[in-house]
This record gives sequence, C-alpha cells and structure tokens, in this order.
Amino acid sequence: MDDSVIISNVFHHVAWGTTIAIYFWLVGASAGSFVISSFGWVFGITRYKPLALSASITAIILLLLVPILLIWDLGKPLRFIYLLLPSYWHATGPMSWGSALIFSYPIAMIFYTYFVVKNNVTWAKIAGIVSIVLALSTHWYTGVVMELNPGRFLNHTALAPLLFLTGAFISGIGLLILILWIQNMIVSAEKRINWSLIEEMAQYMMYGLVFDAFLLFLEFMQSLYGSLNLVIGHEEVLMGVFRFPYLWMEIVLGLIIPFIILVSPLKRTRAGIIVAAFLVAVGVYGMRIWWVMGGQYLQTFY
Amino acid sequence: MTEIDRREFMKLSAAAAAASACPALLHAMELELGGQDFHQIRTFHPRQRKPYLCTLCSYFDGGFSFAEEGEILKVEGDPDHIATRGKFCAKGLASFFGRYDPDRILAPMKRVGERGAGEWQEISWEDAIAEVADKVSVALADPDSIYLNEGSFKEGGTVRFMDTIGSRSVIRSRLPSIGTKPKQTALEEALGFNFALPDLEHTKYVLNFGANIMETALPLAQRLTDGVVNNKLKLVTFDVRMSNTAGRSDEWFPVFPGSDGIIALAMANVIMEKGLAETGFVDAWVNYTSEQGLRTDYSSGHLLKDLQEFTPERAEEASGVPAKIIKRIALEFAKTKPATVFSHNGVVWHQNGTDGEMACLLLAVITGNIDTEGGYCLPRRFDVAMPQPAPQPAGSTSKRLNPEFPFEVKEGVRRVQVLFNHMSNPVYSSPAASVWREVLKDPKLIPYLVDFSPFMSETAELADIILPDVVDVERHDVASSPTALWPWISMSNPRIKPRGEAQDVRLTLKGVVEAIDPDGSRGMKQYWTFADTKEWVKQAVKATPHTEEKSYKKLRSKGVWPSYGKIDPATRQIVNKGEPVEAEYLTYKAAGFPTSSGRIEIRTPAWRENPRHQDMKPDEFILITFKVAYQTLSMTSNLKYLAELWHSNPLWINRDVAKELGIGDGDLVRVTSEAGHMVTKAWLTNGIHPQAVGISTSVGRTSYGRVALADPHAHASFAREEQEDPDIDHNLWWRDPGTNPNDIVPISIDPETGTQTWNDTVVTVTPAEADDNYGDIKVDNAKHFDLYKKSKAQA
Amino acid sequence: MSHPPNQRSSYGLQTPRTRGVPGTKRYAMVIDLRKCIGCMSCVVACKAEYGVPLGVWRTWVKVADKGKYPNTRRVFMPRLCNHCDYPVCVRNCPTQATYKHKDGFVLQRYNRCIGCRTCMVACPYNARHLIPAKRTDDNLPKLVVDKCTFCIHRVKKGLVPACVQACVGGARIFGDMNDPNSEVAQLASKEKLTVLKPELGTSPSVSYIGGDWEIMDEAHSYNNRTAQLKEEFNTFKRNHEGDAFGDIVEGEPTMRQVSKNFGGFLRTIPHKAKEVVDAFVNLYLR
Ligand SMILES: Nc1nc2c(c(=O)[nH]1)N[C@H]1C(S)=C(S)[C@@H](COP(=O)(O)OP(=O)(O)OC[C@H]3O[C@@H](n4cnc5c(=O)[nH]c(N)nc54)[C@H](O)[C@@H]3O)O[C@H]1N2
Ligand SMILES: Nc1nc2c(c(=O)[nH]1)N[C@H]1C(S)=C(S)[C@@H](COP(=O)(O)OP(=O)(O)OC[C@H]3O[C@@H](n4cnc5c(=O)[nH]c(N)nc54)[C@H](O)[C@@H]3O)O[C@H]1N2
Ligand code: SF4
Ligand code: SF4
Ligand code: SF4
Ligand code: SF4
Ligand code: SF4
Ligand SMILES: [Mo]
Repeated sequence: MDDSVIISNVFHHVAWGTTIAIYFWLVGASAGSFVISSFGWVFGITRYKPLALSASITAIILLLLVPILLIWDLGKPLRFIYLLLPSYWHATGPMSWGSALIFSYPIAMIFYTYFVVKNNVTWAKIAGIVSIVLALSTHWYTGVVMELNPGRFLNHTALAPLLFLTGAFISGIGLLILILWIQNMIVSAEKRINWSLIEEMAQYMMYGLVFDAFLLFLEFMQSLYGSLNLVIGHEEVLMGVFRFPYLWMEIVLGLIIPFIILVSPLKRTRAGIIVAAFLVAVGVYGMRIWWVMGGQYLQTFY
Repeated sequence: MTEIDRREFMKLSAAAAAASACPALLHAMELELGGQDFHQIRTFHPRQRKPYLCTLCSYFDGGFSFAEEGEILKVEGDPDHIATRGKFCAKGLASFFGRYDPDRILAPMKRVGERGAGEWQEISWEDAIAEVADKVSVALADPDSIYLNEGSFKEGGTVRFMDTIGSRSVIRSRLPSIGTKPKQTALEEALGFNFALPDLEHTKYVLNFGANIMETALPLAQRLTDGVVNNKLKLVTFDVRMSNTAGRSDEWFPVFPGSDGIIALAMANVIMEKGLAETGFVDAWVNYTSEQGLRTDYSSGHLLKDLQEFTPERAEEASGVPAKIIKRIALEFAKTKPATVFSHNGVVWHQNGTDGEMACLLLAVITGNIDTEGGYCLPRRFDVAMPQPAPQPAGSTSKRLNPEFPFEVKEGVRRVQVLFNHMSNPVYSSPAASVWREVLKDPKLIPYLVDFSPFMSETAELADIILPDVVDVERHDVASSPTALWPWISMSNPRIKPRGEAQDVRLTLKGVVEAIDPDGSRGMKQYWTFADTKEWVKQAVKATPHTEEKSYKKLRSKGVWPSYGKIDPATRQIVNKGEPVEAEYLTYKAAGFPTSSGRIEIRTPAWRENPRHQDMKPDEFILITFKVAYQTLSMTSNLKYLAELWHSNPLWINRDVAKELGIGDGDLVRVTSEAGHMVTKAWLTNGIHPQAVGISTSVGRTSYGRVALADPHAHASFAREEQEDPDIDHNLWWRDPGTNPNDIVPISIDPETGTQTWNDTVVTVTPAEADDNYGDIKVDNAKHFDLYKKSKAQA
Repeated sequence: MSHPPNQRSSYGLQTPRTRGVPGTKRYAMVIDLRKCIGCMSCVVACKAEYGVPLGVWRTWVKVADKGKYPNTRRVFMPRLCNHCDYPVCVRNCPTQATYKHKDGFVLQRYNRCIGCRTCMVACPYNARHLIPAKRTDDNLPKLVVDKCTFCIHRVKKGLVPACVQACVGGARIFGDMNDPNSEVAQLASKEKLTVLKPELGTSPSVSYIGGDWEIMDEAHSYNNRTAQLKEEFNTFKRNHEGDAFGDIVEGEPTMRQVSKNFGGFLRTIPHKAKEVVDAFVNLYLR
C-alpha cells in the first residue's frame, strides 16, 4: 500500500447531506404512521379507529415539514415550481416522480382526514386507499432516488426501497407510540387510546425489526462478496467514518436493544415500550444518515 | 555579443520573409488551436486580441491577451509562435490575475509607522518622485552608495538608471537569460554562449542531470513529450528526488546530492575507453583550459588519460548509483544517435557546480552531439538592445550576485544610502533570509529603501516608500529567449490602462531623472527622452541587431517576429508551404565558437567531494529545495488559482528512513541547520534519496495578502473596494500556507561564481518537540554571521 | 409545440447514442497520458475561461506515486466530464436542465437548473459541482450545478476547448470521433484506449492512452491517500461552503457534524431568502 499512493487530487462535496437525510426520515415516519391510521378505516380493523385521527395528523404534520426542507435545500428555492411544470417535467428523473408524490400525498391525506373527521366511511376508505398507495410510493421513492445511481455502490441495490419501507414502518410506529403516549397524558380519560392497542403496535414493530435485520443482513452479505468498493464501503465507511450512525444508532440502539425489550417481559411495561419506540425512531434516523451521506462518501475521494 | 552568426541569421530571416507571405495552411485537425477567444456566454463577437509576453520566467513565452471592454479576461500562448506553439504554463495562464489581485498596491505608498509595522499612507506620484529624487540627489555625492537589487530576467530601466547616475552598485538576485550563474559561467567559458538548447523533439536519447524540465522549463517540456511519443526517445534523469520529470522518465536514478559531476565524468570515461567517442570532432573542435591556461595541443588522447581516474566504481561510491548502471547508460547514450544532455540547478548548486556543468557538457562534446539535429544545440536568439542613446555602462551591468550583501552591509564593507529593490524579494528568496530581514529593517544600515513591487512582498513590507510598478499584462515589453531552433523576438502590447495609479518603473525613473537633472545639464536627461514605454519598446527593437525596418510593425500586430510559417497542429512542426521548415545545424562550422580560440574550451575534468557531506550522522540529511510547476519564487504568490494548486510544502523524506527515525506520515518534525530550526510536517515518500530531505519553495509566506497567507480575512489595509474578489473571501478553502526554509539555510557561497550552493545544506531531522508548533522558525542571526565568515575564509 | 430534435430526444429513457452513427457528430477527447506532464495548464486555462470559483473544478489532474524506492514513477490523470454517450446525469435530472446535445456534448441549462444536485449524485465521475453562492463575476450563474461543457462555445466557433489549447504536453486531443479522418478517430483505431469505470456502461467520450489502473480505480483512491491529502480534504470540508452539507470530517464525531451540517443549512436561509425576496421585488415591485 505504501508503494502506490494518491498524492494529489481535488475535493468534492457530498451532494446530498443532512437535510436530505432528515427529509427521508420524516417521510418515512409519516408513511409509517399513516399506515397505522389506515388500519381502522381502510382495512376495517375497527379497534384501530380511535387511532386514525392522531395518526393521520402526525403524518400530515411530518409531511408538511418535508417540502419546506426540500425546497430550501435547492440551490434555487424559488424554482421548485419547475418540478411541477409540464414543460419541465422529465419522465426518467426519479425526482420528478418524487415531487409528484410529495405534493399529492399530503393532499390525499388531508381529504382522508377530513372524511375521518366527518365520519364518512365510504369516502374515508376511498381517500384512505389512495393515500396509502401514495404513502407507500412516497417512501418507496426515497429509496429509489438513491438506488438509481449506478455509481453509488452502497446505495445501488434493489433492496433499497424495501429497506426504506421497513424503516418507515417501524419508525412510523415508534413515533406514533410516542405521540400517543404524550397524547394520553394530556387528554381526558375517556379519550385516551387503549394501551393494549399500543402493545399490539409494538408487536408489529417487533416483526418489522426482524424483517429489517434480515434485509440488513442481505445487504451485509452482498457487500462482503461484492467488489472492493463495496467491501471498503462497508469496512471503512460504514464501520469507520459512519460507525456511530450505522453500528451504534441503527444496529445496536435501533435494532438489538428494542428487539430484546420487545421479546422480553419488558414489553409488558409501559417504560419498555416507550423506550423501544424511541430507540427505533432514533435507529432509523441513524440509518437515513449513513444511507444518504455514507453512500456518497467513498466516491468523493475519487 | 551576437549570439548567432550573422550570415546564418540572414539566411534564416530570408526564409522567414518568404514564410510570412504564404497563405494559411489546411490542417489535419478540424479545429483551430487558438488565436481567438470568446466569452462563454456572450459569444457574438471575438474578444480584442493583443500581443502579450510572459516575463514570469526567462523563457519569455509569447502569446496573446484577450480583452473585453478594456479588461483583460484571458491570456494564452500564440499558436504560431515558433517557441511557444500556443502553450503557456499554469503560471503564465494565471499571470493576468495579478492585475486584479485584491491586495495589490495601486498607488505610491509611504511608510508612516516603524519599518515593517505595516502602516502606510498613500501619496501622490509627484510627492513620491520628489522625495526619491531628493534622496538620490543627496546620495549622488557618492554614486556607489546608491544600490540596486535587481531580480528581473532582463536588463531594463532600472539598470539604465544606475548607469545614468553613474553607480556601479548593482547586485542581482538572478541573472538575465536562462540558468543560474555556475551554469552560465561554465557554458560561456566552454561554448562562448551562456546557454545550450537540447533539441528534444528530434533526439533519441536525453540524459538529464538535475533539471526539472517538466516543471521549470515548459517550452522544452512540450518538445520532450513530442519526442517521447513521436520519436520514441528515451529519457534518463538523475535527480535526488522524484520530480515530475524524474517520475515521468524512462529511468530515474536517485543520486547523492552533488555527485552528478563524477557520474558524468565516469560515463565520459567509459565512452572514451570503449572507443565510442567521436574523437575526430574532439580533436578538431575542442581545446582545454587547465590551471596553466589554454592548451591547444590537447587531444582526445590526453582527455582519455585525464578521465581515467573517474572510474564508474568511484562514481558509484560517491553517488550511490551502481557502476553497472553508469556503464550501461554511458554505452546506451554513446551508441544512440542523436542524443543530448541537459542539466540545471541540481548539478550546479554545489561547491563543484561549474565543474559539474562542464562534465555534463563534456558528454555531449565527446559524442559529437554539439549543434546537431537532436543534439545539444547552440542558442539562437536576438540580443534585445536598450533604446539609444544609452548611457555608458558604469560597470553596473556586472553580474554580481547578492547573497553576501546584507553581511557586507552589516560588516560595514558597504555603505548604503539608498537601496532600490526591483522584482526581487530577498527577504523571502535569499539564503539566510532572516539576516536580510534584520539588515533591511535597520535604518542605520539601510537609510532609505525603495521598492517598485506591485505586491506587498516580504521585502516591500520593509520599504520606506513603494512606487508600484505595473504588472505583466499592463507592461509594454520586448524580449527574446533561446527556446527554439530559430531566433525570435516577442513583444507585449497591452493597450490597456494600468489599474489604479500603478506606473511602469521606467516612467517612474524617468520622473526621478527629470527631477534630478531638470535642465539636462548633468547629462542624465538625454537618456530618458522616450515619451512612454511604447516608445521605449519601439526604440529598443530598432536598436536591436538584425531587426529590420518592418520588425517593429510586425511585432506590434503579431507579437512575434520573424514568422517562419505556421504550426501544423497535428505534428506541431513548423511548416511553410506544406513543407516542414528545417532548422540549420552545425552553425559553428562557418565561423567557429565565439570563444577566445574559436573552439570549445573544456576544462580539465575535475570533481571535488564536499568534505561536509563525507561523514554525515544517521539523522543528518542534505536539504535540497526545489521549484514546482505551479509557482514562481514570489511573483505568483497571491494568485488564487495557482495557490489553490500549490500552497503547502511538507518535508520530503524517504519512507524507510523516516520509519527508522520514528517519523510517521504527516507528523511534525524539526529541521535543524547550523543556524537554527524550523518545524514542519513530514511527507513520507519513496521518491527521495535516503540521505536527502526536500522542501519546495514558493510558499510559506508572511506577506502578500489573503491568498498567499491562506487566510481570507487577511485584507491588506490598503486594499481597494473595486479590487475585491468575493470568490477569495467566500470560497478560499485551504488554511495551510506552508513554510519557507530560507531562514534556516545558511549562506554557503561557491567561491568561483558567488552563487549560493543551495543543495549543500546539511540539516538534522528529528520528531518535533512537545511545544513545537507547525511553522515555528527559530534562527540565530549571529550564527548566520559566523557561518558567513567561515564560508568567506574557505573561499 | 414542436421541440428541436435534441430537446425532444431527451425525453424517454435516454438520448439516442451517437457513437458510430453515420450522419451524426460525436465530439470526444483522447488524453494521451504518455504526454501528460502534470503541468496543470489545463486546469488553470479552464478556470480562467469560466471564472470557475475556488473549491470547484470542471477539470483537474490527479497525481499518484508508484513503486518502491528507487524504482518509482509518477502518474498523472487529467479528469473532466466524460460527456457520456449514455449519461446517467441526464437521465436523472428532473427538469431537463441537463441534456445531451446532438453533437455529443452533455450540457447545462442554467436557467432551468433548480440546484437539486440529483445529477451530482448520479454522475459516477464527480464531474459536476454546485456553483457557490459567491463568485468573482456576479453576473454569472450561482447556486446551480455546473460542469465541463467541452467548451461548446469555442468548438462552435471552430476552436479547440480551452484545456486542449493550453495543454503543454499536447496530451489532450479533441475532435469528432465519428469522422474517421479526425485525429481522435485515428488515435482510437491505432492506440489502446481505456475509459473510467467501463463497467457502468456510461460510454464515456473521454478516453485515455496509457492509463494506469490504480489511479483510475475508485477503491484504490480511497484506500491509498497520503496523510497530507487526507488533511487537505478535511480542511476543505471544514472551510468550503459547498451549500450541500453532507461532508463528514474523518476522525471527528460524526453525529455532531451532522448537526453542524444542519446548522450550515439553516445559515443558507438568509442568502436564499434574499434571492426569493429579490425575485419578488423584481417581478412585482419594479
Ligand atoms: N530555497 C530556495 N531559494 C531559492 C531558490 C530555490 O530553489 N530554493 N531559487 C533561487 C532562484 S533560482 C532564484 S532566480 C531566486 C528568485 O528570487 P528573487 O529574484 O528574489 O525573485 P522573487 O522571489 O520571485 O521576487 C520577485 C519580486 O518581484 C515582485 N514583482 C512581481 N511582479 C512584478 C512586476 O511586474 N514588477 C515589479 N517591479 N515587481 C514585481 C514581487 O513582489 C516579488 O517580490 O530565488 C532563489 N531562492
Ligand atoms: N515553475 C517554475 N519554473 C521556473 C521557475 C519557478 O520559480 N517556477 N524559476 C525559473 C528559474 S529562476 C530557474 S533558475 C529555473 C530552475 O530550474 P531547475 O533547475 O530545473 O529547478 P530547481 O527546482 O531549482 O532544481 C532542479 C532539480 O534539482 C534537483 N536536485 C537537487 N540537488 C540535486 C543534485 O545534487 N543532483 C541532481 N541531479 N539533482 C538535484 C532537485 O530535486 C530539483 O528537482 O526554473 C525556472 N523556471
Ligand atoms: S514557462 Fe510559463 S512562466 Fe515561463 S515564460 Fe512560459 S508561460 Fe511564462
Ligand atoms: S461524466 Fe458525469 S456529468 Fe459527465 S456526462 Fe457522464 S454522467 Fe454526466
Ligand atoms: S441540479 Fe440542476 S441539472 Fe442537476 S439534476 Fe437538479 S435541476 Fe437537473
Ligand atoms: S473542455 Fe472546456 S470546460 Fe471542459 S475541462 Fe476543458 S476547458 Fe474546461
Ligand atoms: S495541460 Fe496537458 S500535459 Fe499539462 S497536466 Fe493538463 S493534460 Fe497534462
Ligand atoms: Mo533562478
């Protein structure tokens, strides 16, 4: 190694940074909580109906932050409108689809919420179905927008959307649990959400964790047996520079510890569930960080 | 001295006249190589093109500047210039940014605080000139107490001024023309010319001793790459470290510093012994000078005998290059025809510098490669004259170098009343730079210091008054350099106003002369009658031997004269009417060499080992300093695009050696010379001799401004709003400004030429100590003084 | 509304490839590394041509040292946009701000670019950069993405690109690859050409003679940096406002830097807000 060294090169920035990672996280959490919201009205699991409103409002608020972040992250914020103009529309650009989704998804959700409030079962269901498709698509898209870059080895994997959706699912539930917990503390007794529902959601979260771990393992295998770029990407970038968000935040805090809580007797304690929910949300944030910034990191030296 | 034989030259210029009449040629390439320029967006009309001449180094490449609305926005080489062929180096291309340097000095400035305290007051040119004239008038009682420290690559207005006032006190930080003093001395003695040009595009073999062609000699470098690909030449480089040239050579041999001379002599020995020498050429064209003087009866037989002591084995012992390799390379070189040599500072900046240069030249001589196609050629150039009438040289054109000056001033050997500093920055560039700083700072030793620098150099900072000169792209200028096989002359014709109140030094000095000698009664004014610098150039061209009536006119429009044809962009050869123009070779045949005997006058082979280098301790190294492609010594310091390319200079140290010393890559180290120490970072490399360490020059600034200091907030107090560059203030990202080794480099003078032997310095390298910080420099000027005395005593 | 052919063809998956297609032009650069001396005239010429701000580059030269003392070599590797015949950057741009010109140039339309940097993420060669918020000539674009244009403004005037003009070694050779008489086409048939990351199938128009695999390799570049280079990069990340905020300095706490990056993002609010206000004022109040 000493006898072949790069002695001079220019430097490049990582093009998408913290703002994008946060945005990915917010979209994910939004999609996740919306899925929960839809359980009652769309899938007819009536015991979830009481949750629907808080869940969809959480989803809407999370998603309203997104365009602000995204637009301000543009070099030319005012030109965000170009993303929606037909004469500028570029069908092959993943971001084109993304912008369509990001703008239509909250609108659909607002309709859905309106019908939920109005207790209009049919229309709530229709709007709910549309919204849930959009929710999943919006988050599917965040995985895709990183995936469709053949030069970014760590991101260029067909598992990306699935990883993102799973992350969305678990972090959405996690966040929602936290919100409901706080809501329960504030509202009057009769309006409180039944804790058993929350325990059930925690159970779903646990399944999600298992699936997430499985996907991560697949990715890990791929990088071990991949090209040197992938191997280095894993060894030096993920386990090196991004060790904290990757190993500590996502895997240890976000997967292992919540999993242990959720399969142990602790899962029956309130504190256990709250802590697990919090850790899962944090873990997914860590994942968004390394996924976005770590994925581009290696190449900036090239 | 006329540097090309007149008859030869007349032939060439006849060819030139024919060439310039022929219409443009059709190229193999579909696109033009240059000559026009357009704005990236406003492409409707071409930019205005003016002849431009780069004077950042002695190669004087000719090109064009391109302007829009009176502002120069680009420069480039002239594609049909016989030497430049459209190519400028990075420095040349960036040179015009000097005009827009946000920390540029744009008006005369007078010191108000202590010397060097950085407090300035802008004054008018009238006041400035009156003040300087006053000081000069007073000092004129003893003209020799008026000094000029000159760093220009040419003789110009400042030397003319010294001649006008009758002062002989000119010292130089560098010589006019290409090469440093020992090189020029050796070549002048042997060939009668102070330079020789390797014909790189036609050669098959290049033996390169200590010349970093690809970084410091760009007109040669472009021919070298043509030769590499088109002619499959072999390039062999001897250098202490892996310069870009060494790294791109077919073979690079790391040598122990100062041993090139004996390698060359050993090779000559092998060649003579194997009977591969062109003894006919040697016997017919070579004489020898020895201690006894010129020997005309000396033959190749004598030479063979004199070379015998220089065996490859002895050379191996001195240089570390295996004898087997020396023999192999010697045989390859002798058997490949044509072949050439080139050598530069790596060879001559040692105690045995002149002998070393002689030894390298000897290789070309004994193989008969002198002035042959693909060989080592005699220089072809014009000797650009001074406008006439010119003052009698007061003896000031002497080529005295300056390193001892501050010591002599301090010793009281020299009495200075006024010191003019022009295009030189000794406080940064000279050995024992800290002594210069001390002496120039002392008003008792230097009562009045005038600097013409457009930039706040480390030297200008100590001036009493700064009379800012114009920068390259604003200057009317004319020059010639022996960089091609045909002589050429180039001109700068900017036709733009200098920025601010900057004024060409020639006009400033004209003002001073007119103030000293208002009615011409002192006989000074008569030499300063030119109206402006355009006029100066016109008169200079007119007075230059071999130019013609139309030369000036041609120069004014085309920038170069004569025109030999067009460059074929595919082959980069000069073609006239579809035929490549052939150069004249063997030009010495007609009238001999311009030496006393008309022949080559080689010295008796000699090589001396530096006693200080013989028994070095394990942590002792020889410190070599070197130039890089992206900077000049000081002239380019504050140019953003160049500083972005090169701004820090860690210490090169052999990887294995460093590990033994417990020094890791990037670690702080102390480099200690006999005069003091500096703290810098280590750069572990496989590309340097284990007994040497290396530091690049050109960075490690304490002055010049925000770019050179790598600090976007370091605005000069005199910076003007209209010169501000938001790019620098907002985007300048590097923070390591490097370190300057010259404070710790003790003076070490080659007695024969008065040159600093830059590559002889012995230092120790140790891991930094606990309280050492990057960039610390601690020197003891008293020690510098002792070392100076020691160096004098040895001479 | 009918589009000029080059615009229309930027719809769909890709611009049709033109390499070797009769009747089309395919401008290309061959870089003869045997002739490259690392002088960086190309870099300065390009920077001067476009007033490229500090900290971003349209072209650059990578340098590597190889071998063990005393058998060592230095390797240079000029880099620029490859003007890919199958450009990922074009495919991924959401606004058609970057497109492939019919003669093979991959170009930017500054007035369309929203500065989303999708193309930067997509380009496998680091050939693109976001122009910083401040630059020398205030009238030139800022905060949009820029890249090498193959000097189309010169080529259309019959001149070679600025970096080719300046190339001291004569290493950069430019011309129409589809014209069998051009120098590039002749070199392509005579010499062995290599391109960067051929496995990605981008079909670069910049090819090299005498390329060295190590300096051309991404993983190798990451693994084999000198301490000096690492430190320089870290300084760059600390001090150069890229307005993209994804830079992480090695050896410093990652998540603290992530928060710092977000702080950096927040600090762009004033200058971007100013742009928004200016636009409003220009539109309605003038
Ligand atoms: N350690 C070390 N030291 C060295 C060398 C080395 O290799 N190693 N090299 C040596 C060599 S070869 C040389 S030639 C010397 C060079 O050393 P110097 O001859 O002292 O030259 P510079 O340091 O380049 O300083 C030139 C000065 O001219 C000023 N200047 C720039 N442009 C203009 C202009 O247009 N007009 C005027 N009037 N002034 C201008 C700049 O401010 C600058 O201060 O350095 C020597 N010093
Ligand atoms: N880019 C650039 N070009 C320049 C200049 C500049 O400042 N910058 N300055 C111009 C001037 S003023 C000059 S004088 C010339 C100088 O041009 P060069 O002489 O080519 O340059 P230097 O860097 O002084 O020294 C050349 C080489 O000598 C090597 N060396 C040191 N000691 C030894 C030794 O004992 N033996 C051998 N074989 N090699 C040794 C160094 O490693 C270095 O690579 O360049 C001119 N051109
Ligand atoms: S080599 Fe560079 S600095 Fe020297 S004259 Fe040519 S362009 Fe100017
Ligand atoms: S090199 Fe990058 S920017 Fe250039 S065309 Fe290819 S993908 Fe696009
Ligand atoms: S930054 Fe500009 S060119 Fe790049 S993808 Fe976004 S809109 Fe297109
Ligand atoms: S082709 Fe033009 S824009 Fe591209 S690198 Fe060369 S000079 Fe720069
Ligand atoms: S200008 Fe040419 S020779 Fe110099 S570094 Fe660039 S490509 Fe190489
Ligand atoms: Mo020099």
